[in-house]
Amino acid sequence: MNKTSKGLSRRTVLSGAAAVGLAGVARAQAPAEIKVGLIVPLSGIYTRPGQVMKMGAEMGIEHINAQGGIKALGGAKLKLVVIDCGDTTEKAKNAAQRMVAQEPDLVAATGAYLSSFTLAVTEVTERAELPVLTLSYSDLLTDRGFKYIFQTAATASRQSELGLPTLMKLAENASGKKPKTVAMLMDNTATSVATAKALKERLFAQEGLQLVVEEVWTPPLSDATPLIQKVRSAKPDLLLFMPNAVSDAKLGLEKISEFGLGQGKIPTVSFSITIAEPDMLQSVSPETVQGIMTIVANWGSKGHEALIAELKAKYKEPWMTQNVISTYGDMWLMKEALEKAGKADRNAVAQAFRTMDAGPSKYYPGGQLKFDEKGRRVDAGVVIVQWQSGVPVTVYPPELAQAQPFWPKKS
Amino acid sequence: MLRMRSLLPPLLFTLAYAVVSLGVTNSYYQLILTLVPVWSVFGLSWNLLSGYTGLISFGHAAFFGIGAYATALGQIYFDISPWLLIPVAAMLGGIAGLLIGFPTFRLQGHYFALAMLAYPLAILYVFEWLGFQEVTLPIKRDAPIAYMQFADPHFYTLLGLALMLATIVLTQVIERSRFGMALLAIKQNEAAAEAAGINTLAWKLRAIILSGAIAAAIGGFYAQVLLVVTPQSVFGMLVSAQALTVAMFGGVGTVWGPVIGSVILIPLAEILHAEAGARIPGIQGVIFGIAIVCVILLAPEGLFWKLRDLLRKRRAPKPTIDVTPEAAAANITALKPVARQRAAKGEVMLEVKNLSRSFGGLKAVQDVSFKLHKNEILGIIGPNGAGKTTLFNLLNGFLKPSQGEVLIDGRNMSGQRPHVICEAGIGRTFQVMRPFLRMSILDNVVVGAYVRARTDDEARKMAADAVARVGLSAVADRLAGELSTKELRLMELARAIAGQPRILLLDETLAGLGHGEADEVVAVIQQLARDGMTIAIIEHTMQAMVRLVDRFLVLDHGAVITEGLPEVVTRDSRVVEAYLGKKWAGHAAN
Repeated sequence: MNKTSKGLSRRTVLSGAAAVGLAGVARAQAPAEIKVGLIVPLSGIYTRPGQVMKMGAEMGIEHINAQGGIKALGGAKLKLVVIDCGDTTEKAKNAAQRMVAQEPDLVAATGAYLSSFTLAVTEVTERAELPVLTLSYSDLLTDRGFKYIFQTAATASRQSELGLPTLMKLAENASGKKPKTVAMLMDNTATSVATAKALKERLFAQEGLQLVVEEVWTPPLSDATPLIQKVRSAKPDLLLFMPNAVSDAKLGLEKISEFGLGQGKIPTVSFSITIAEPDMLQSVSPETVQGIMTIVANWGSKGHEALIAELKAKYKEPWMTQNVISTYGDMWLMKEALEKAGKADRNAVAQAFRTMDAGPSKYYPGGQLKFDEKGRRVDAGVVIVQWQSGVPVTVYPPELAQAQPFWPKKS
Repeated sequence: MLRMRSLLPPLLFTLAYAVVSLGVTNSYYQLILTLVPVWSVFGLSWNLLSGYTGLISFGHAAFFGIGAYATALGQIYFDISPWLLIPVAAMLGGIAGLLIGFPTFRLQGHYFALAMLAYPLAILYVFEWLGFQEVTLPIKRDAPIAYMQFADPHFYTLLGLALMLATIVLTQVIERSRFGMALLAIKQNEAAAEAAGINTLAWKLRAIILSGAIAAAIGGFYAQVLLVVTPQSVFGMLVSAQALTVAMFGGVGTVWGPVIGSVILIPLAEILHAEAGARIPGIQGVIFGIAIVCVILLAPEGLFWKLRDLLRKRRAPKPTIDVTPEAAAANITALKPVARQRAAKGEVMLEVKNLSRSFGGLKAVQDVSFKLHKNEILGIIGPNGAGKTTLFNLLNGFLKPSQGEVLIDGRNMSGQRPHVICEAGIGRTFQVMRPFLRMSILDNVVVGAYVRARTDDEARKMAADAVARVGLSAVADRLAGELSTKELRLMELARAIAGQPRILLLDETLAGLGHGEADEVVAVIQQLARDGMTIAIIEHTMQAMVRLVDRFLVLDHGAVITEGLPEVVTRDSRVVEAYLGKKWAGHAAN
């Protein structure tokens, strides 16, 4: 390596053209660039989350390269390959096939937002032996016995297991009594169904909660009135409102407000990042969402202040959602694996993910940078986010909290 | 010989495709090569129902999805191999076709299309409700081949190709058989098809069962390729639309249409997605949409027909077109009108007793009774709105009488379905002609022959015979779209007599013809009567009628005014009054 660069500098004086040729040789010997993939929806109805994930990935790559690249590989730089996985399962599968066929030197990838897309993508990458990190949290993803998928978020069922007890404690601390009745309004997407299953089968009973209203809708929600009417007449201590589309969330929250149940009359909790997306403020006022909480797999939290400021300055994003921070963290995780593997080879990187034990995680809540045999991150935790004065801030766990939670009091 | 010749193109195409596929090593291109036959088979299954019958289905995803889910769930819950599950899926698809077709075929046109749209959407929610939002096929590392999981993607393409070849051949066989003819007849005019003796409901059900089975089979195979099944990816609107898109783009109602459509569109969409979409995400959809819009504008019936028309135009040498009509004309003029001996009153073929039909308050036909004797020509006349066509519709089963009886050979047939009445020996033509423009004269006529013929060959022979009887033999191979009104009228006549009816109902067969032309058609009708046919004819043109018919039946306001010999009836003041008003009735009396 040293020798080559010496020869290179000598010849540079002689001929620029020769230098170009030799630079190519030098790159072949120790890759100056290592390709990592980002396969996310950049067209169709899921474009927005895909774009946000791309921001996180770009920031991650920039920071890693600015800090000297992959040291074990002579400071090799990471290069992001972005692939649009479209808005259907078939397009996602085709895009994944394109990724593994056209980019044979990828060492790892991350994606693909919706768990249906991630399922299809990883069917392809598993066969191509390309390790994939994902922020999708469907349990099914890591229940297939696959060896090349690594799930950084807590699975859907785990999220409800972790989230509900914490929420109950929060309620007890803040209001002095434990909620006893609960209403659940949910759409019928895969994540909501998985969450609800865990809640109904175990967690409600475990927490002594009685389910008094249960309503399911198919997105898009056309009218929330009948749903909210049932909630008003049942007067539950807690409302679980689980939309996965911003328009559904907006309709529901407006109706809650209209029926005079907002502002904490009935404490409202969600289970996805939808309700805390920046898009929400385009359609509802900060007062409407004030106090609403959501249990999510990841969020910009304490310790990420510099990142959040950079995101604001560079991409005009008001705050950092799971999509940004997790994808940003994935880049660092790939770097970690490359350092450990010591070579730019997808199988070596996959093996590095499997055997990794890199201590507490910085960009994912709770747990370790370590994966179990299913490919799930060990002890992955959850974050509770609460809307406070027009911004969703992390309120739990305490070590990540940007603000104190408040439990809306019944008037 | 004919069979082999029609088999050759699909075989060659499949072979060429397989060779190309084997030459491709990039797994992404291979996947696209696999998806082309998948969507073309799906397009073909849609074409089988909608392309041939003209009943547009917006809901073929219903069958596709049932096949995909059957294949996926069978593997997950029962550990059955997809080699077995895909045939099972086809069966389920067929059953679904029957269950969906039976109630939905009561609807026609847009109503049918919209009703079909509902099925996949409804089933989609059922599968979501059942908790099958995301289903993945279990990976079989120890016995991949037994579970149709190939490491080498070429096998998927070859398997897809085999399915496509089978579907193409099946479609070709159907296209040429009684089945295909029946479907085409339904597309052109369902009522006319019924009148020609085709049990339209039965054929439509057969078509949707077969179509559903094919769609479900290819849906099962698709699940095997995609490995993940979600309700949206197999029951979604886009899936149903895909079938329409490839078929309409390539050409509707032909075996090659869906194949051409998917060979062009599927790779195009992917290339756009990979190339243009990488630069400006989302632009691929815009380009793709514009491309389809342009092609549909330029070739509304699809690429196949446009290309074929262009080729025909270039190939067809001018002289032959000029010569054939002359030959035909000569043939027709040979049959000069001959004054006919009035038929002696023979046995009664058809007897109508007190037939009535009202639409709300309007009594379209009231208390009509008459007899039609063997070998006579009965002219049914009357001013517009007198109920002549309604009477015919009652006779051949399009309408059910409110009251009264229609006796054919002494058997009461009133209220029977048209194809049953046709089988009993009543043929008819229509006031508005509905020829199958893209088919030759002979093919047009064959449709009418199937009611009597047992085999396809027999039907062709009967059709050729009927064409000869109306004097169109010389032009039998020309497309109906190139014919004059007179020739079309004669062709309609041939179609009606191809099924060898004993009674012929002719609805304004002379309408729209010039003087000389009308005479030629009259000559043909007279010849038919001489050959033993019993005919009832509706007509406005009195002149031609007077020479043609044996007896008149005069209707006005739905009721019989009079009946009798032409010379008596034309002088009847009630008849003149009905036609011309009271003032002229007085003149006529003088």
